Amino acid sequence: MSSSNPGSPSATATSSSSASSFSSKAHSCIQALSSILSTVPSSVSSSSSLLHDPTVSSQISTLLRDPDSGSGDNNLCRWLYDTFHSPDPELKLVVLRFVPIVAGIYLSRIALRKSLAGFEAILLALYAHETTARDGQPISVNVPDLTQPSIYHEAKSSVKTQATELNLAVISPTLEPHGTMRSSRRARIVGVALELYYSKISQMPVSSKLEFCEFCDIWATGIQNKPSSSSSSKQKTILLPWELLQPSLRILGHCLLGAHKSKKLYEAASMATKSLYERSLHDIDAKAILATSSLLRLEKMALDPKLNVDHTEIDMSLAL
Amino acid sequence: MADDETPSQTQESSTAREFSANGTSMSTSDVEAKLDKGNIEEAESSLRERLSLNSEEARTLLGRLEYQRGNVEAALRVLDGIDLQAAIQKLQPSSQQAARLVLEGFYLKVKSLQKLGKFAEAAQDCANILDAVGRIFPQGIPDAQVESKLQEMISKAVELLPELLKQAGNYQEAMAAYRRVLLNPWNLDNDCCGRIQKAFAVFLLHSGLEAGPPSLGAQADGAYVPKNNLEEAILLLLVLMRKIHHGDIQWDPSVLDHLMYALSLCSQTPVLSKQLEELKPGVFHRTERWNLLALCCSGVGQNKAAMNLLRKSLHINERPNDLTALLLAAKICSEDSQLAAEGVGYAQRAVDNAKGVDEHLKGVGLRMLGLCLGKQAKVSSSDFERSRLQNEALKCLDSALSFEQDNPDIIFELGAHYAELRNLNAALRFAKKYIDITGGSVMKGWRLLALILSAQQRFTEAEVVTDAALDETGKWEQGPLLRLKAKLKVSQSRPMEAIETYCYLLALVQAQRKSSGPMKIDSQVEDDKVKEFEVWYGLASLYSSLSHWKDVEVCVKKARAMKQYSAELVHTEGFMHQERGEIQEALASYINASLLDPFYVPSKVRIGALLSKLGSNSLPVARTLLSDALRIEPTNRKAWYHLGMVHKDDGRLADAIDCLQAASMLEESDPVENFRSIL
Repeated sequence: MSSSNPGSPSATATSSSSASSFSSKAHSCIQALSSILSTVPSSVSSSSSLLHDPTVSSQISTLLRDPDSGSGDNNLCRWLYDTFHSPDPELKLVVLRFVPIVAGIYLSRIALRKSLAGFEAILLALYAHETTARDGQPISVNVPDLTQPSIYHEAKSSVKTQATELNLAVISPTLEPHGTMRSSRRARIVGVALELYYSKISQMPVSSKLEFCEFCDIWATGIQNKPSSSSSSKQKTILLPWELLQPSLRILGHCLLGAHKSKKLYEAASMATKSLYERSLHDIDAKAILATSSLLRLEKMALDPKLNVDHTEIDMSLAL
Repeated sequence: MADDETPSQTQESSTAREFSANGTSMSTSDVEAKLDKGNIEEAESSLRERLSLNSEEARTLLGRLEYQRGNVEAALRVLDGIDLQAAIQKLQPSSQQAARLVLEGFYLKVKSLQKLGKFAEAAQDCANILDAVGRIFPQGIPDAQVESKLQEMISKAVELLPELLKQAGNYQEAMAAYRRVLLNPWNLDNDCCGRIQKAFAVFLLHSGLEAGPPSLGAQADGAYVPKNNLEEAILLLLVLMRKIHHGDIQWDPSVLDHLMYALSLCSQTPVLSKQLEELKPGVFHRTERWNLLALCCSGVGQNKAAMNLLRKSLHINERPNDLTALLLAAKICSEDSQLAAEGVGYAQRAVDNAKGVDEHLKGVGLRMLGLCLGKQAKVSSSDFERSRLQNEALKCLDSALSFEQDNPDIIFELGAHYAELRNLNAALRFAKKYIDITGGSVMKGWRLLALILSAQQRFTEAEVVTDAALDETGKWEQGPLLRLKAKLKVSQSRPMEAIETYCYLLALVQAQRKSSGPMKIDSQVEDDKVKEFEVWYGLASLYSSLSHWKDVEVCVKKARAMKQYSAELVHTEGFMHQERGEIQEALASYINASLLDPFYVPSKVRIGALLSKLGSNSLPVARTLLSDALRIEPTNRKAWYHLGMVHKDDGRLADAIDCLQAASMLEESDPVENFRSIL
C-alpha cells in the first residue's frame, strides 16, 4: 500500500544509494534504541520491521507511560525527536506510530504541573513538519451543489457557472508557525499531530490504533475501558475543543468502519465512540452529538445480518 | 469451510435437487454420489448424456452443485476441467449465450476462491471477466440489448471486483476499481449502482488512504470533479440521497448517517438540514426530524431556528421528555437573557428526566438550570427577585459540581457568579482551580482571575497574572489581555505605560487587519474592525481621564471610522463637553448615547447626575434614570452614589444612607472591567 499524499514521499526508496543511506540511518536508529530499551530483537533490522515489531512497541509504550517520561532530558523522547527528523520517511512512520500515546499522556498530565518538555518537543516537531508541508494553505473541502453536473451524476444546469459557487468548508485552517508550546495553542498543536497521524493511518499497526481508542476513552470520560487495565482509578478528563475532537472522530471512524479485520480494534473503537457520544451530550456539543450518534447507528447497522445481504452471491439454480 | 457441509442456500427445497436443461430434468442424487467418490469424469458424462450438454455446460452445472453443497474446493476442481482462459479468449461479440455460460463458470470460480480466502487470485479472475465483457461490448454495454442473465452476472462481477481487492488488502487498486466500475457504462440497475456508490463512499471516508483525484480525460467536460476523498465521498452520498428523494432507490438510513458524519466533520450541517427537509414524511418520526434539524442549526449557531424546532418537538403533545432536546434547548436559552426564563423550564425538566441510564446527565441539567437562573436574574424587575434568582442559580451550580467535580465549565461559572456577587474570596478559589484544571489554555480563566485580583485592589498581582496569560497566548489572541493590562496600569496611576500598551495593541491589531489578505471572509473583516475600534475607544477613554482633549478628539475620530454609530463614542464626547463646562452640549450627547443604546448605563448615570444638580424639579427624573441604570447594572457604584445624593437632596436621609453605603462597599471591590464581560 503506497501513499499518494504529496506531503510525504512514497515509502519505497527510489535509488540504490538513497536506499543504502536510509538503511544505514535505520541501523543507527536501532542501535541508539538498543541503549534505551532492555531488549531489541535481532529480527529488527530495517525501518519497516521497527515499525511493526511488537516487543519494541510494547517496551516503548511502557516506558512512555512511566510517571517521569515526558521531561526534557528523557532519552526516549530524545530518540523519538531525532528519529522523526531523519530523512527516511519510514522512520518518520515509526515515530507517528506513538502519537496516540504521546498525545494521550501529555494531555492527561497537563494539570499535574510536571515538566513535559520532552513530549512538547516531539509534538512541536510534528506540527512544524505539517506547517511546512501545507505551505500556508488551509485544508478545505468543497461541498458540491447537485444542480451542477458531476462525474457521478447528470444535472440540467441552466447557467454554466465557473465553479464560482464553490461551497468551501475549511476543515483545517491555515497553520501559524509555533516555536514553543503556548497553552492557548496546545489543543491546535496536538490536533495537527493527530491529523498527521490520520493521514498515515493505513500504514499504522493495529496496536497503535488500539492505544488511540484507549486514550479516547480516558479523554472523554476519564474511565479506562481496557479490561486488562491494572489501574482502575478514575483519571481526569480533558478539555475537548473541536480542534482535538475533529481529528479524533476521523481516526475513530477509520477504526470502526474502515476495511480492517481486527475484531479487537472494532470493539475498542466501539467503546471509544460510546464514550465520546456521552461526552458530547455532557458538553451539549451539537456537531459532536451528530457525528458520534451517526457512528453508533452505523455500527449497529453493520452488525445487523438483515442489512448485510451479499448481492454478489451466485444464482443457485441448477437449470441452464 | 468444511468440505462435507451442506448448507441450504437455494430457495427451492434443499433435499430434492434437480438439474434441468434443454427441456429435460434429472435428479442430482447419483451425480452427487459419483462426485462424493471423486469421479468427476463419470459425473460429467452422466450429465452430458441425460441432458444433451457439452463439456463446459456440464462442468458448470456440476460446479454449481458442489458450490451449493458447500464443497468449494471440489467446485474449483470441477471447474479446473474447463479451460476457462481459452474459452474467454474465444468470445465473440455476437454470441451472448455462449459468453454467458463461460463467464458464469468463471464467476463461480471467483466466488469459490473468495470463499476459500484467496482474495488476490479471485480479484485477478474477476478482473479478467470484466476485461472479457469489455471485448464483447467494445462500445460499452448498450441499454436494452443484453440478455438478462448475462447482465445479471456482469452486474455481480462489477460489484464484486472492488470488494475482492479490499479483502485482499490492495486498497489502492480497490480505489481504481471502484472508479472503473462507476465511471464507465455497465448498464447497472439503480439498486446495484447505488450499492456500489455507497460502498465506495464508505471506503473513501474511512479507509485512511487518499485516493487522489480521478484521471478522466475527456469525461470531465464541465462536470464537477472532486479533489480528495472527503469531497468525493460527500458527492457520492449526496447523489445517493438525490436518488432516494426521487424514488430511484429505496430509503437507506446508513446513507444519511454517513452523510451526517461527513458533514458534521466539515461543520456543514446546513447542507444536512436541506437533506432532512427533503425526505418524505414518515421516513422519520416528526419529532426525530425536528430534533435532528435543531442539532444541525445549533451546530452552526443558528439558535433562533433551532429553538423554533425544539419548541415544537418539546411540546406537551409531542416528545416533551426527550433529554437531548431538553438539554439543547436549555443551553441555547442560557445564552440569551430574553429566553432565560423559558430555559429554566427546559432545564428543570431535564433534571427531572435524568434517571436510570441517563443519570449521568443530571449534573449537566443542573448546570443549565443554574445558568438560566443566573441569566434570568439579569433581567428581573425587582431587587428581591434578582437576589432570589441569583441565590438559586448558585445553589444549582453547587449541586451540579457535586455530580461532576472536575467539570471545568461549572468551576468557571461558579467563579464568575461569585465574582458578580462580590464574594471575592470564593470567586478567587474557583478561578485558580479553573486555570489549574485547564492548564491555562483558556483565556477567559486568566481574565477572570486578573479581574478578581483587581477587584481586591491587588493590582500588582493582577498584572503578574496578565503577563503570565500573555506568555501563554498566541499573538493574535492577546487583544483582550492587553486591554486589561492597560486598564490595570491606569488603576496603578501609570497612564504613560498604559498608553504604551495601547499603542502596542494598536500595532498588533492593524498588522492583523493587513495580513491574511484576500482569503478573509466577511465576518473576519468585521471582527478586525471591532478590535481596532476597541483600541481607539480605550485610548480615547484614557486620554479623557487625563484631560488631553485634542488626543481624545483624534481617537474618537479614528474609532468612528471603524464603527459609525456607537453609544460609547458619543458618551465620550459628552464627557469632554461636560469637563469643558458645556453642560447643554454634554446633556445632548448623553441623551443621544442613550438613544443609540437603551442599555448603555454610563450615559444614564451621567444624565441622572447632571439633572440632579439642576434643581428640585429634575430630581424625580434623575431618580428614575438612576434607578433604571441600577436595574440593568446593579453593581454600578456611581449610580448608587448619585442616587444617594438625589435621596439626600429630596430629604430621604435613610434611603440616602443606604445608597451611599452600597456605593462605598462596591468601590472597595470594583474590578477594572465589568465582570459581565466574562460570562
